Amino acid sequence: MTDSILIKKGTLVLPGRKELVDADLLIREGKIVRIGRGIEDPQAYSLNASGLLVGPGLINLHVHFREPGEEKKEDLFTGARAAARGGFTTVVCMPNTCPPLDNPLFARYIVSRSAEIGLVNILPAGAITVGLKGETMTNFGLLKEEGVVALSDDGKSVGKSRLLYLAFRYANYFDLPFILHEEDENLSPAGEMHEGVTSFEMGYRGIPPAGENSRIARDLVLALYTGARVHLTHLSTDLGVDLIRWFQARIPVSADVTPHHLLLTDQQVKQFGTLAKVNPPLREEKDIQALKLGIREGVINILASDHAPHSLEDKEVDFASAPFGISNLEITLPLLVKSLVEEGVIDWISLWEKLSLNPARFLKLTDRGSLEEGKVADITIVDPDTEWEVEVNQFESKGKNCPFQGWPLRGWPVYTILGGKVVMQEGSLIS
Amino acid sequence: MGWKHRHLLGIQPLSREDIWYLLHKANFFRDSLEEKPKKEGQLNGFFMINLFFEPSTRTRISFEMAAKLLGMEVINFTTEMSSILKGENLRDTVRTLSRLKADVLVIRHSSSGVPQYLSQFLPFHIINAGDGMREHPTQALLDLLTIWRHFGRLSNLKVAIIGDILHSRVARSLTIGLQKMGSEVFFSGAPTLVPPEAEKMGGQIIYPLEKAIQGVDVIYLLRIQQERQKAGFFSSIKEYNHFFSLRKDLWEKAKGQAIIMHPGPVNRGVEVDSELVEGTGSLIEEQVTCGLAVRMAVLDTLIQEGKAGD
Ligand SMILES: [Zn+2]
Repeated sequence: MTDSILIKKGTLVLPGRKELVDADLLIREGKIVRIGRGIEDPQAYSLNASGLLVGPGLINLHVHFREPGEEKKEDLFTGARAAARGGFTTVVCMPNTCPPLDNPLFARYIVSRSAEIGLVNILPAGAITVGLKGETMTNFGLLKEEGVVALSDDGKSVGKSRLLYLAFRYANYFDLPFILHEEDENLSPAGEMHEGVTSFEMGYRGIPPAGENSRIARDLVLALYTGARVHLTHLSTDLGVDLIRWFQARIPVSADVTPHHLLLTDQQVKQFGTLAKVNPPLREEKDIQALKLGIREGVINILASDHAPHSLEDKEVDFASAPFGISNLEITLPLLVKSLVEEGVIDWISLWEKLSLNPARFLKLTDRGSLEEGKVADITIVDPDTEWEVEVNQFESKGKNCPFQGWPLRGWPVYTILGGKVVMQEGSLIS
Repeated sequence: MGWKHRHLLGIQPLSREDIWYLLHKANFFRDSLEEKPKKEGQLNGFFMINLFFEPSTRTRISFEMAAKLLGMEVINFTTEMSSILKGENLRDTVRTLSRLKADVLVIRHSSSGVPQYLSQFLPFHIINAGDGMREHPTQALLDLLTIWRHFGRLSNLKVAIIGDILHSRVARSLTIGLQKMGSEVFFSGAPTLVPPEAEKMGGQIIYPLEKAIQGVDVIYLLRIQQERQKAGFFSSIKEYNHFFSLRKDLWEKAKGQAIIMHPGPVNRGVEVDSELVEGTGSLIEEQVTCGLAVRMAVLDTLIQEGKAGD
């Protein structure tokens, strides 16, 4: 194949200009070199995108690739394949591996392995605290020098307020942002699911919204006084949206929601069992409505997966023993289309903005996140119309722990182009 | 205009003229230290008590030597001896000492404001040898003397103070002093140790470190204490050294006419590369000798002229 690709007759999604434009797009040597109507280039490989949406490559702030230590659940190779199949060109992998990513050497490994695999840019998030223990800060500066793009103790929240206060100020020097999992575990000892009618009925230990929201409030106060760049991930409650709205008038805080928190409630734990055991837990219909309103208003300006693969043997246990997490990287986009576009919450342009431009800005990836001449040719092409059923057994991910088996969905990615190279075509990976 | 202070509690109460008065006298003593014999007898028969609640052999010895060079008698209460006095409150301890009828009390204490507090009721001259995180006036004066003797002036200089500004009485006193003399101060280091409030004292915070030391006349490094890491202000000595110390490559890029200063004792390889300590740009050893001269000047001035006023 030549190093030029001409994408013909597609509908370009331009989130920066809030426009859909019918035009051609020419890629050469890994860059977008021309956008316009009636482009001809006989040398280029021609890709007919008629009826398809062509937009900047999708960027995902929250995935778990489990390497090193839990390769039984996922590894960087299978995770990368799942990402490319899901239309993602950049993902941020969380540091709660075994051992956790608290050491610059691990970051270097992930960056170099990502380049070797060549299917998606895997950017490591580094641990805030050594061993995710919440006791001492990691070497933020040395981590950043090896490619860490954000800090997170995902899976937990930092309990010691003073430690986080100092970490917020310290990280400013290195311009490193935080991706925060918000949960006060004191309020949810051995918690299993959302604290509400269903947890009472089922006899499962509750995880109250108070635990999530008290930490959101604390951390936003700390951000307010320190100037830290803070992103709250996998938001799940109505009050969380209100808190962020209040702070956004004062500081540039961002937030994301996962598709499962928009599509499922705590009641569905009855139906899906451990496949719907996730943290933060599935909440209530009123929370979904508030999250959707937050998304429409832009309070929630990013969408992410929290792709959390597990082996089925890990999930096929009693509810209390099962690990938290849903594998969803390959269906994140169609799930979001169902919950947001088809419900009329937001349009395709806004959806794409929250999946590319806004996360790119958060990570300060200035050459990604929009379709412009001169930018890196990370591009996702989506078929907005054809309906397919979710077939979990076809997942590239090792994680088949997914409650959405058999759901009919639209908005599937049909091409993923990474740095000017087609890495996924109609669901199949090209290497 | 003569000298009108009874004590030396800090740089803050001193005027620019006061500082010049002490520096001129100290400059004379600094020159006389090269002569033999050095000892001058003008304070024969006066007594000085060193009362150190925090261990600091260097400062204590410097005061002791300064006093002896002037012919004074010296009594030391070191940390170990001070601990004998445990159980007494500070005021009772010092009241007991006051009955010893000394002339000068040199005090170091870990609580800010102790020298001021004692000066309210003790019958002798008090010299602050470092109180908590507030002031260390003889350190600032010796730094000013060192800078003056090197550059021939104390105005229109640019001084970058690097490191633990938050906990440093040295940084506070020096910043106040430099500003009174008409020079500019920049702060840099780990942002957890460089509070934004420092700018309220005058001076400007500049990040990153490389930028803060660009084109300055003096790079003043503060000692970084291990306990700051344990308290969570930075992550590790390795990272501190990598990002917040004066490494040789940074020095090569920044130096120009700059000199390196440090209040000591130096943590080699932590806040500064070891070979820079004795390098041509370093005045760290000269600071020690200037310290002696400054303390002689302070003792001489307080005893001979510090009768009235505050
Ligand atoms: Zn999480």
